[in-house]
Order: sequence, then C-alpha cells, then structure tokens
Amino acid sequence: MLTTKGKAPIVSRQMLVFFAILLSYPLWADAAGLYEYLGIEIVIFIIYALGFNLLLGYTGLPSFGHGAYFGVGAYGYGLAQLYLDAGFIPGLLLAMLAGTVASGLVALFLSHRRGIYFALMTIAFGQVFWFLAIKLRGLTGGEDGLLNIFRPDIDFGLFQISLKSNFAFYYAVALIAVLVTLLLWRLVHSPFGMAIQAVRMNETRARFVGYQVWWIKWTVFTLSGAIAGLAGGLLNVAQESAFPDTMSLHASGLIVMMVLIGGGFVSFWGPVVGVIVYYLARDLLGSITEAWLLWYGLLFMAVMMFSPEGFAGGWGKLVAWVRRRKQGEVLMGGAQND
Amino acid sequence: MSAIQPVLNESLGMEFVTNLLPHLINGLALGLLFALIALGFTLIVSVMEVINLAHGSLFALGAYLAMVIIDPSLQNAGPIGLWYLGLPHLLRYAIALIVAPALVAVVGFGLELCLRRTYGKKKEYGLLLTFGAALVLEEAIRLTWGPVEQFLSVPKEISGAFIANGLIYSTYRIYAAAFGIFAIVLVWLFLAKTPYGAIIKAGAHDSEMVRALGINLPRLQLLVFGLGAALAAIAGIILTPIWGLRPHVGVDAVIPAFLIIVLGGIGSFWGAVLGGLLVGMGVAITGAYASAWSLLSMYLLLILVLTFRARGLFGKKTALEA
Repeated sequence: MLTTKGKAPIVSRQMLVFFAILLSYPLWADAAGLYEYLGIEIVIFIIYALGFNLLLGYTGLPSFGHGAYFGVGAYGYGLAQLYLDAGFIPGLLLAMLAGTVASGLVALFLSHRRGIYFALMTIAFGQVFWFLAIKLRGLTGGEDGLLNIFRPDIDFGLFQISLKSNFAFYYAVALIAVLVTLLLWRLVHSPFGMAIQAVRMNETRARFVGYQVWWIKWTVFTLSGAIAGLAGGLLNVAQESAFPDTMSLHASGLIVMMVLIGGGFVSFWGPVVGVIVYYLARDLLGSITEAWLLWYGLLFMAVMMFSPEGFAGGWGKLVAWVRRRKQGEVLMGGAQND
Repeated sequence: MSAIQPVLNESLGMEFVTNLLPHLINGLALGLLFALIALGFTLIVSVMEVINLAHGSLFALGAYLAMVIIDPSLQNAGPIGLWYLGLPHLLRYAIALIVAPALVAVVGFGLELCLRRTYGKKKEYGLLLTFGAALVLEEAIRLTWGPVEQFLSVPKEISGAFIANGLIYSTYRIYAAAFGIFAIVLVWLFLAKTPYGAIIKAGAHDSEMVRALGINLPRLQLLVFGLGAALAAIAGIILTPIWGLRPHVGVDAVIPAFLIIVLGGIGSFWGAVLGGLLVGMGVAITGAYASAWSLLSMYLLLILVLTFRARGLFGKKTALEA
C-alpha cells in the first residue's frame, strides 16, 4: 500500500540515487550501448508518469485518457512557437497552461464520479481530444501532425544555449525532472498529500471526515494534467513536432501500463522504474523481434497475474524477506499481508 | 446521391425523409451491431466487474478467423480441402458465423482463467490485464495476417445493392440490421427465459449470494466471459465487411461500446440496446451531412446525456462505483 507519513526529508536516499543516475546518464550512455536521445524520451516520460501517478497511485483515480493532456501540451507548445514565436520557457509554460485548462475543464465533468464511471468517462473525453486533434486540420495538421517546430535557443540575456544538441537538451529536461520530482515528493508528504490518500482509501469516509472530496479530485486531476502538458511540450521539443498518436487510447493505456508495471501503487518510484523498463524492453526486445509489443504485453499480463504490485512491489517483498531472514524468523508461506 | 434524385416526391419534407432513409438503415445496422458488442461488454462488467479492454481485439479476432474459415488456403490439402472449397459460399459463410465465435469464446475462456488471479484485488489490475491481452491479441493478429487491410468475402446472396423508389440501398446493410435484431432477441431470450440466464442475472446482481446458494460461480464467470467474447466476434464478422479488416479495427469497435455502456447505464440490457441505436443513428445521420465529423456525435451525445443523467439512461447505483 502506498502510504506516506507526514514527515519526510526534502531529499531522500532513493531520490539521491535517482538524481545521480539522471544527471550522469550522458556520461555512461554510450558505454552502456544506449544513446542520448533515448535518455531524453525516458526522462520526459518519467515526468509524465510521476504526475500521472499522483492521480492513479496516490488518489486511486484511473484515467485512461491522459494522453489527451500530454498531447494538448505538445500541440500547445507547437502552436506557441508557430504563432507567438514564444521561445523555450514561455512555450513550456503555455504547454502547461494548455494541459491545465484542458484537464481542468474535463475534471469539472469527472470529479463527482467514481470507479468504473470515472474510468469510462476519462476514455470518452480522451477520445474527444484525439478526434479533435485529427479533424481540426487547419490548427493541428490533422493526421500528419504539427511538423517543423525547430528546437529554440534558451536566451539568458548574457549568453545563449542552443537546444539543438541532444546533450544540452537532455540537461534541460533532466533539470525540469529534478524540479518536478522535488515538488511532487513535497506534495505527497504535505497535508494535501495525506488528504488525497484518504480519498483513495475510502472516499465516503474522507467526505464524512470533512474533506472537500470533489475539490480534491478536481485539483489532483488538473495538476496531473498540467504536468502531462509540460511533459508533452518537452516531447514536442524533442521530436520537433506533435502527433495525434500521443493522444490515442493506445498511448493513454501505455502510460497506465508503465506506471503499474513499475509499481505505482506501492512506491513513489514505481513510475520511474516502469518507464525505464518500458523503454529498455522496447529497445532490447525491439532489436530482437518486430513483435516486441506481443512479448511486452505478455510480460505485463504475467506481472498483473503474479505480482500486480509491479517491480517496486516485488522489490519491497524481497527487502522484507531479507530483513526477516536476518532476524531469523522465517515465516512459512502465505503470512504476508498485501 | 443527387444524380438519382427521386422525381416523384412532390413535397420537400417527403424528399428529405426518403433521401435520409438509406442513412437511417445504415444507422440501424450500425446501432444494432454496436448494441451487440456492448451487450457482451456489459455482461462481463456486471458479472466480473472487469472492463474488458480486449473486447475490441476479440471483435477483430472473430472477423479474421471467419475470413480464414470462409476462404482457407486448402488447395494443397487433398480431397477434403477441395471438397470444403467446393461447398457453396453461403454455406461456408454460415459455418464461419458459428465456428469463429466459438473459437473466440475459447480465447475468452483462456483470458478469464488469467483474469481469475486478479479477482478480489484492485479493479485496475483486471482492467490492465485485459489491456495487456489487447496488445498481445492485436500483435498476434498483425503477425499472422499482416498489417495490410484485408476483406472478409460475403456471399453474393447478401451483397450488392438494389434500387427502390429511386434510391440505392445496400442489401448487406439490411441483412446486417436484420441479423443484429435476430442476435439481440436471441440474447434476450437466453437471459430472460432460460434458467441459466436467470443465474447470470443473479450473478450480476450479487455474485457472493449466488455462490452461497450453491451455484458454481467460477463456471458461471467462465461462461459469461465466453459468451461476451462470442458476441464481440459475431459483431466483428457482420461489421467488418462494412468497415474493412485491419489489425487495429478493434479500437473502432470498443470505443463505441464503452460509450454505449455509459450512455445506456452499466448493466442494463435495454440501456445497451437503446444506447447502441442512439449512437448508430447519431453517427449515420451526422455522416449524411458532415461525414468528417460523424464520430464526434457519439462523444457529444454521451456528454449531453451524462450531464443530465449521471448513470446513463437506465443505470442504477451499483457496487461498481465504490
């Protein structure tokens, strides 16, 4: 179970490990047979997945249409460059704003829903955005997507940094990932973080205790939409275009899969693990077989059947088992409580 | 359409209605088949509390299997193969209509056996297992039959078109609508008039109580999942000659099914039928005027209905919201 106590360090031990890997990646990527651009996409999806898990893992609200806000961010950034010539940081802020507005509007319709109705409604709204992205050809470029949005330079007044090199852009993305991680870590350990977990555990009881459940659900949905928008904007910078595919049901399902396969329900770090597993599986399996999605799907089914808490859950069980072994009290099977 | 404008209709209103008639028949066929997909979907949701995201893949699988059963490559398979290919097209089509859904039901059984491990845990686990299954099935279809569009050949008795009153009607769509009605009535008879249907409805209402009464619940769940899968497959066989057969055709089927379920109310038989008809008609009529936007109508319909009726047209408050 994903539970946080009120007190938590500003920077935890796992976080330091994560930051160390994150910031040193370009130094050892080549040696490990990886490449810088892969790191960029992974880190962008880590931002997206961490924001998504605020909704899924912490608040227990499954959204199957989150690709919409991710995509809205990507288009928002692209349009800001094309029509406003906005530059990198204002463009990202506009992408975030676009994600916020889109998810905030949808959340108005969703926040009093529960369970299956909530899930089905997120699908419906996600499809509306996907459909609009394809049909509003004048604005979005239709099925071809919004193309030729070249990476800008960041202007600091005294000096400029060009994002054309993957190296510079990787560090820009990594820096944003660090900020988002710190922010979300603080958030889930704040009183608001306690409240959203109360909503997950028992919505009715949370309401009786006096929490404004509707407002909490709206805020979490909008917040995760804003982060999805930010990540979408970054993806646009990375790919220099925005595509309607990022908004499809398929893409929205994949982010849920990534978060859960890593163990989003049991750990803050689940989404990070899940995104890395997905991309490594894509590159490693993809280099062996065309049908890598078949094997990834089977892997995913096996995880859901045998260890539905994902990699983080499996790791947690392993740690607990080792600890018990050390204390010399090996419990005979089935005594674990999950 | 304007080239064959009926000359006989004097009044503008009459002309308007008759011009729309082929579209209405399309809408009826589409709506009834959507309803069929949605019925299987809602049966599974009610009894197992699982949103089956693989439903669209089962729909596609049914169509592909039917395609193979109708036109197998048996030229080199000796006398039996030649004998089979010598059978009339209509007969092979009828065989496909029975055998393919049965095979898909077996796949459904397999999926339910996998799903069984997630019962009693978080609902999302079951749902995501079916998402994984959807990926696997779609990739398997792509590997077996290739990514290009294929065609399910329809016997000449039910294909083609005819002209009545100056308008062209597609025979196949009328057949599809009739078949949709036939299948829905059959499902209704099964659920409403047979003892097993009563058990399924009871299971949807309160599965624990059904088990306490000594009914074999796991077997019931297996059966319901297989039935739902078979209904998806039947709808796939009837709909894909209209839509074309691609590996990801399932998505085009599963999305309307979701919407119909929510529109009609989860767990409601007539809600699914009415929702299906509304969506089918909405898509067909907007298709007549603004074809590019026809699919948007169903989303707008859903948002409109849910703004006024939170649980859809016939929905009741259930345990699914907890």
